[in-house]
Amino acid sequence: MTDPQPNLAQKIAKLARIRLSADQLEATEAQFASIVAYIHQLDEVVIADDIEPFFGATESVNATRPDQVVDSYAREKIIANAPQTDGEFYKVPSVFEK
Amino acid sequence: MNQQLSATELVEQVSTGKKTARECVEQSLAQIAAHDASLNAFTSVSDESAIAQADLVDQQIAAGKSVGPLAGLPIAIKDCVCTEGQTTTSGSKMLEKFVPPYNATIVERLLAAGAICVGKTNLDEFAMGSSTENSAFGVTANPWSTKHVAGGSSGGSAACVAASMVPVSIGSDTGGSIRQPAAFCGVTGLKPTYGRVSRKGLIAFASSLDQLGPIARSAKDAALLMNVIAGHDAGDSTSAREEVPNFMANLDQPLTGLKIGICKQHFESGLAGDVQTQVESAIDILKELGATTQEIELPHSRYAVATYYVVAPCEASSNLSRFDGVRYTSRQPGENLLAMYEGTRDSFFGEEVKRRILLGTYSLSSGYDHELYLKASKVRRLIKNDFEAAFSKVDLILGPTTPTTAFEIGQHSTDPLAMYLADIYTVSANLAGVPGISIPCGFSNDGMPIGLQLQAPMFDEATLLRTAHQFQTQTEFHTQRPTSAVT
Repeated sequence: MTDPQPNLAQKIAKLARIRLSADQLEATEAQFASIVAYIHQLDEVVIADDIEPFFGATESVNATRPDQVVDSYAREKIIANAPQTDGEFYKVPSVFEK
Repeated sequence: MNQQLSATELVEQVSTGKKTARECVEQSLAQIAAHDASLNAFTSVSDESAIAQADLVDQQIAAGKSVGPLAGLPIAIKDCVCTEGQTTTSGSKMLEKFVPPYNATIVERLLAAGAICVGKTNLDEFAMGSSTENSAFGVTANPWSTKHVAGGSSGGSAACVAASMVPVSIGSDTGGSIRQPAAFCGVTGLKPTYGRVSRKGLIAFASSLDQLGPIARSAKDAALLMNVIAGHDAGDSTSAREEVPNFMANLDQPLTGLKIGICKQHFESGLAGDVQTQVESAIDILKELGATTQEIELPHSRYAVATYYVVAPCEASSNLSRFDGVRYTSRQPGENLLAMYEGTRDSFFGEEVKRRILLGTYSLSSGYDHELYLKASKVRRLIKNDFEAAFSKVDLILGPTTPTTAFEIGQHSTDPLAMYLADIYTVSANLAGVPGISIPCGFSNDGMPIGLQLQAPMFDEATLLRTAHQFQTQTEFHTQRPTSAVT
């Protein structure tokens, strides 16, 4: 099992784009410790070399369909759900410095 | 009384003009109005549109036009399933005002069959939980005892059927989220085979595990719904192309010769005594109906919860990355893009959702525990192989749905790991992809419902439904209703 690392929750939170308060960080560290210990029961399992991972519950062939133009959903209905728009595009804080 | 008619009877009465769709919907809405303040099964109720739809069905019948197999049937839909023009929150502040521009395929099929959506049901936020305590819109109480949880994540869908607000509902099941609340609320809940029911329009939690299915008062009513909702959909690339049988056709076929496997790991430590007693009585009833039993092994099932809590959070952390304050209703303004992302996700995700995103990020990130996902996926293969080996010997696997009856509100809310173990008997089916059903099989010493789980090989929901139906011809557990719901 991987040893707990200092500031683990903070580093993971940054990768996950979630801001955590100091209290939340402490609680998360504690809960993580017990959950990670529990899931590391998997280390006990003897896995033969020829066992392939199973990533999905069906192993069907690729789904394909004819390449035809079809109507999409109305743009105004989709964009109506955005917190900020100019009526046509999503608006977000500036990405590049002026 | 309307609420006590089965879905099958109700549709028959509407189609033949003995009852109007409007009467059915009005009675359903009245029951919701009378009891939802104490249960909180619904996140939204659509009175006006439901009555308008009912009138349309009644006009079609009056004009002698043919109507669908669910004509006039009031139905409630879990609020992680997209409904066009109707708010779809997924139990989250992140989607509090989200109005989908389209209907999920399952909704399209239900509406086309004449069903009438009376409202959207409460759930744990993004279906992550086993009690609906993680809903941003409050916990759903169990109709049998409002001190107890209804289960989860489809707690609202199970509670509204138990409380006779609707004859049937739709839930989703990623690790037990249809079967566990069905067991806790004393109703019938089916998780179909992965891929059997289209996921298009289901807000994704863990895409390789999620499956939609019916919750009903009986297996027969669940079969009625399956006939409408099952089948290939080009809009879901994981949708199965398997032929869909008529799930109603063989319900009356006797169980003579049916081989049922009993897994002894399902009866080990942690199982409540009264749950064990009732499940054992159910085995005797099935034997009287002609089934035989034999012991089977699922040696890797003890690792199912650990496997699940690697696989599901990994998929969730990826699926929920789309909620970043740009496209979906909720935004916490920030001085730059990163501050907006972080602030939005901090402000609008609940604690359990954050925990699972963090756990998934941990398992997938280089330098932390990234080999865990591969290891879990190999154990998932071993779990699937165990099912295949068992189903080479038996037709079904039987056991308890949950280790205990419904727990009290707040009992596990500070210990996420204890909550995760509520799904110990149900998660394996999601990992392997096989179907499972929970049916009522008795009551605990304190009067709470107990669920019996049956699992079948891939795509054999018909045998699950037939066995459950035959059991229900000999028992009355599924006809019992909580006193709070009797008006």
